[in-house]
Amino acid sequence: MSAQLSAVAVNLLGLVEHPELGDSPYRIDADGKPYVPVGDGGLVLGLALGDSVFAVDADHAAPGVCLTHRDEAARHALVLYSCIGNQAEVRTGAAAGARGAVIGKRGENGRVIVGFRPADLARMRPGDQVSVRSRGQGHRPAWLPAGISVMNLDPELPAKLPISQVEDHAVGASVRTVLPARLAGNGLGRPAAGWDLDLQLGAGDGHDLRLGDLVAIDDIDARFNMGFRGGWVSVGIVVHGSSPLPGHGPGMTPILTGPRSQVVARPDRDGHAGLTAGLLQLW
Amino acid sequence: MKAASNADRLVSQVLTGEVWPPLADRHGYRVGPDGQPFVLPGMGGVTLGVHCGDQAAGYASDHLEPGASVRNADPAANMAVQFLTCVSNAVRVDSGPAAGAIGHVIGQHAYVLVDFTEAEAAQLTAGDAVTIIAVGQGLRLLEHQSIVVKNCSPGLLEAMPGGTMPDGRLEVHVAARIPAEAIGAGVGMISEYANTDLMGAYAGLGDDLSLGLESLRIGDIVAMADQDHRYGRGYRAGYLTIGVISTGQCMLFGHGPGPSSLLSGPADAFSLVDDPDANLASWFHRAGQDQR
Repeated sequence: MSAQLSAVAVNLLGLVEHPELGDSPYRIDADGKPYVPVGDGGLVLGLALGDSVFAVDADHAAPGVCLTHRDEAARHALVLYSCIGNQAEVRTGAAAGARGAVIGKRGENGRVIVGFRPADLARMRPGDQVSVRSRGQGHRPAWLPAGISVMNLDPELPAKLPISQVEDHAVGASVRTVLPARLAGNGLGRPAAGWDLDLQLGAGDGHDLRLGDLVAIDDIDARFNMGFRGGWVSVGIVVHGSSPLPGHGPGMTPILTGPRSQVVARPDRDGHAGLTAGLLQLW
Repeated sequence: MKAASNADRLVSQVLTGEVWPPLADRHGYRVGPDGQPFVLPGMGGVTLGVHCGDQAAGYASDHLEPGASVRNADPAANMAVQFLTCVSNAVRVDSGPAAGAIGHVIGQHAYVLVDFTEAEAAQLTAGDAVTIIAVGQGLRLLEHQSIVVKNCSPGLLEAMPGGTMPDGRLEVHVAARIPAEAIGAGVGMISEYANTDLMGAYAGLGDDLSLGLESLRIGDIVAMADQDHRYGRGYRAGYLTIGVISTGQCMLFGHGPGPSSLLSGPADAFSLVDDPDANLASWFHRAGQDQR
């Protein structure tokens, strides 16, 4: 049925976000301590795929630029249609012509995270226009067994990620770790097509996730909104770093969801490789 | 022994608001747990027929808000209304046929939720003006320094059974205990705004969605395991948050009946007593009763 439908590409325009703060510089961390949030959106330097989500003292920092749009409805479309692995090209500014790739999406008002080569990032500034060649929503790989859903992936990407059919009815995924549902945070109850799911993890919790890792969370169904469903599992790509805010943490953009009998997450704490700069040709 | 507090040092602030209409968009449908599209009422306006003590789930409704849903039309004033209003604060109707009626706050949900008697609620509609006597933010328990009070009026603290135990713990009576897996939308938000939706209470849907919470009632005092809501809402092993169920049935996935946060601290600072009468209906929301 849907396997026969071919995906359509749509060029979208995003603007490199400028960070925004309110009248007070402070947010309050889980211990009640005020802090000034750094790295929450906008253009972040010094962070790359493969770095630990706890590598920097920042709030929701993502490796690259966050794209938004001034029109709220256009911003939602930018986020909903963009998929991990989509190509992006800088249209204005000193880095015009530079090519990057979508590495994730974030919720709330919506942001698309795009990775570029460090030399290109260094020449960019907030307000630069970036065109995203969006493609992937609605695409269903022909080999994907019935009962499993994929989302937020460029059609070319599944073949490059450590995801494959393992039996007639099942898919296997290499992941850094498998987490319990009680650690699902901000993003619950929100649409998986446009939000990430924050994982309530701190640096001392024994899960050293890295940006770009695949990670699984048990008993979460992410086909539509994300929420608890016993016996299911959702796999996502870690797209931003940790946060001092209670209920927040490293965020994963969901890519795969289904019953645990059909989605087999294989934890590989030391050898796992997920979304990398090499895979996206961002060296 | 009732827990000692700084209640005598709190001031009341008079706030205004109006009954706010339900809001929808032209696309109508939202999506349920199995992908089912739905159009269901419950949020905003005046929701009739459901009060404290009634079942929270089991209605053809989404984000059921019992009674009147109140906001202030000015955005900044509205945040003051949402943040400063506390559970059991008195709310007076100031316009329309229900003018003079006194209701009581049962929680927040991006609206302030006010329970009235059914007869009073039947005369209310969107646009009716209300006055809120807000008191409770800043409330502290003098002998329970590790417990932070949230959205709880001195009147509610006084009415709730339990108190300071000889061993120094705070005894709290609860109608239900909530596992950490049930915490849904609202996690990661500040504790003074809206509430925490509980998953696992989708009456009539699949067993794999259930966490055994279908029998919660509006107004139930509940204990949420491994929840630290002292400075925002999040998971923390070994912590506990006491809340009051202020919203009911949801069809939207990842949402559900929701507690507003009242008390939060280390689990070992509390002593819980399971008590089916631990519900706002046991103490408030009788017509004309004036509560701080």
